[in-house]
Amino acid sequence: MNRQTDAKPRKRQFLAPEFVRAMLAGHSALGLAFAALIYIVCLSGTLTVFMHELQRWEQPNAPVIDGRATPQMLDNAVRNGQAQALKDNAAHDLFVMGPGTLSPRMTVNYHDHETGVDGSWIADAEGNLVARIKAPWAEFIANLHMALHLPRTWGLFLVGLTGVALLSSLISGLLSHPRLFKDAFYFRRGGSYRLQEADVHNRLGVWGLPFHVVVSLTGALLGLSTLIVGVLALAAYDGDSEKAFAEILGPRPSEDETAAPVPDLQAMIAQVRAQHAEAVISSVHIGHIGKVGQIVTISMRSPGHLPFGNPYIFDGNGKSLGDGGQETGSVGQQILGVLQPLHFGWFGGIPIKVIYALLGLALTVVTHTGVTIWLARRRDKGRPVPGWERVWAAVGWSQPLAFATTAIAALTIGHSRVWVYLATLAASLLLARFTPDGEATARILRLLSGVGLTAAVATHAWIWSGYVTDAMAWYVTTALLATAILIAGPAVRRPRAATSSRTVPA
Amino acid sequence: MPSTAFDPQSLYGLAATLLLAIGLGLLRSSWSHRGGRSLHRLAGWLAVVLGVGTFVQGFGGEVGTTYALLGLSMVAFAVIAIGLERRAARERPQREIALEPEDRPTNWPRAISKSLLAIVLAGVASIGLGVAFAVAMPLAPTDRIVLGGLLVPVLWGAGMAWTLCDARLVRATILLLIVSAVGYGIAFLPKVLS
Repeated sequence: MNRQTDAKPRKRQFLAPEFVRAMLAGHSALGLAFAALIYIVCLSGTLTVFMHELQRWEQPNAPVIDGRATPQMLDNAVRNGQAQALKDNAAHDLFVMGPGTLSPRMTVNYHDHETGVDGSWIADAEGNLVARIKAPWAEFIANLHMALHLPRTWGLFLVGLTGVALLSSLISGLLSHPRLFKDAFYFRRGGSYRLQEADVHNRLGVWGLPFHVVVSLTGALLGLSTLIVGVLALAAYDGDSEKAFAEILGPRPSEDETAAPVPDLQAMIAQVRAQHAEAVISSVHIGHIGKVGQIVTISMRSPGHLPFGNPYIFDGNGKSLGDGGQETGSVGQQILGVLQPLHFGWFGGIPIKVIYALLGLALTVVTHTGVTIWLARRRDKGRPVPGWERVWAAVGWSQPLAFATTAIAALTIGHSRVWVYLATLAASLLLARFTPDGEATARILRLLSGVGLTAAVATHAWIWSGYVTDAMAWYVTTALLATAILIAGPAVRRPRAATSSRTVPA
Repeated sequence: MPSTAFDPQSLYGLAATLLLAIGLGLLRSSWSHRGGRSLHRLAGWLAVVLGVGTFVQGFGGEVGTTYALLGLSMVAFAVIAIGLERRAARERPQREIALEPEDRPTNWPRAISKSLLAIVLAGVASIGLGVAFAVAMPLAPTDRIVLGGLLVPVLWGAGMAWTLCDARLVRATILLLIVSAVGYGIAFLPKVLS
C-alpha cells in the first residue's frame, strides 16, 4: 500500500524510510505480477458469496422450504435420492443439504467416482426429488473463483498461490505504511489523482484488514490443501493422501461392497439430540450408501457456532463413531469447522452476505487501485505506459461484461461455457487496442457492462415471466439492475478535463 | 447481523455498533488533530473495546468476535466516507508527498531469479516447515495437521514479502535453502529412521 508522509518528520518514525522504500518496491512488484489473478479471484469471490441466491434466480420455480429439515423429511430425501442414484448408476456417495443452512432449499447430490456419474436435485418439503439443479451461471462463477476453470488440481493450486500472494501483499502493504494510525481516516478527493487513489487503496486496505487476512488465509489453505496433504502423506502416511485426509476428517467407508440397508437416520438424529437438544440438522452424507462398509455423517448445528454443522459419525449399523469436534473440540477441529463459513460468509444469513460482498468488493478495489497507482506514478514521473493503462482498464471492466455475457449464455443455451468468458475478455482487450486511452476503454466497457447486465435481466424476465415462485428471483433481478446502473452511470457523464495523471482509468 | 428487529441480539448488535461508531469517531478526532488528543484516543479505544465486548456478550465468543471484526470494518468505512475531504484540483501540499518505492536496477535474469525465490523456494521452504510441524509437534493429529497446514500460507506469504523486499538474492537463497533442509529433515526423519 502507498503511504503519505511529512516532508520533514518531527519525530523518528517506527519504520525506517529505507526499509519502507524496499518494502514498497517488493509490494509493487508482487502486486503487479499477481494483480489480474487476484482481481479476478476477488471479484468472482464477491459474487460467490451469493451463489445460492444466484442458483435460486436461475431456477425461480423450484420449491423453497420454511424452517429447518425434520428427521422425517431428511430420511425421505435420502431414500428417494438413493433410488434415483440407482437409476442413474451413481449410487455410491450421497449428500443431502437440508433447508435453512445455506439456503431455504433442500438439495440432494450423488456421485460415483468409478462410473464418473453424478446428479443434483432439488427436493420438496416431503423429501421428493422435484427437479434437477440447473444453475450453470452460479456454477460458472463458483468454478472461476475456486479453480479458474482449469483442471481441478492445477486450478486449486493456482488459486491457492493467488491467496498466498494476496496475503504477502497484505503483509508488505502493512509494513510499508508507518503512518498507519495518523492516516487512518484520511479520504481526500480532488488534487493529485495518484494520492486520491492511494487514499482509497490504503483506507479500504487497512480497515478491511481482518476480512482481507481471513479470506486470503482460508482461501490459500483451501487451495493448497491437496499439495500440503500430498507432501504430508509422503512423509508420514506411506504416500497415501486418503489416509492423511482420514486423520483429519474422521472414519472413511470400508471397501466391503456387500449390499446392506440404509440405516435408520431418525434414530441417529435422536441420539445426537439426546446430547445436544438445541442442535438443528444441516446435512447428511452417506459414503458407500447401501453397502456394508457405509459411513453416515450427520451434520448438526448448535446455536452460537460458525460451522455449517458439527459432523456426527455413525457406521452402517447406526453405531456412533464419535463426532468431528468442530464446535467444541480441539483447536484444529474448530479451525477446520470455520474454514469454509469464514471464507464464503455463509454463516449469518443475508445481512452477513451483504457485508461480505461489500468487503470483497473493497478488496477488489484495493487490487485495482494498486495498479492504477503504479500507472499514475509512471505518468507523474514522465514515463507513462498508455498501452498498459488501456490493458488494465480492459482487464478490470471486462469482468462485469463477461459475467453478463456468461449469464445470457447460461439462460439461453443452458451453459456458461468458459469460451464465452474468454471471448468477452479477448474482445475487451481488442477494443482497448483501438481506444485513445485507458479512461476511454474503461468508459466504453462500463457502458457495455451496464447494457449487458440489463440484457441478462431482460433475458431472464423473457424466459421466466409468469413462472417465478421464489421471491429471491426478484431481489436478485433488482440487485443486478442496480449494479448495472452503478457501473454504467458514472460512464454516461462527460469525462473530466485531464490533469497530470487523470487519463489513468478510474 | 441480528435476524429480527427487536430481539435481545438485535439490541446487543445495535448497541455494539453504536459503541464502535463512537469509538472510531473519537479516534478519528484524535488522529486527525496535529499533536493528537490523548483523551479522545483513550476514550476511543475504550469504546471500541466495549463495542467488541458487547458483540461477544450478545452473540457468544465465536460468532460475536466475527461480527465485531466485520462491524469494525463497516463502521470505519462509514466514518471515512463521512469525513470525505474535497480539494481543489492540483492542490498538493508538501506534507502529502508519498514516499516512493526503492528504485532498483533490474533485468530479466534478476526478475526470474526473484520470482523463483519468492514463489518456488519460499513455497518449498514453507511447505517443509508446515509438514515438519504436522509430523513432529506433540499435539493431537488433527491439531498438528491443521495448524501445520495453516502455517504454510502464512510462512509462504511472509517469505514472499521478504525475498521481494531484500535486494540481496544470495542471502535469501541461502537462508531459504537452510530452512528447507531443516523442515524436510524434521518431516522425513521418522520415515528414514523407521
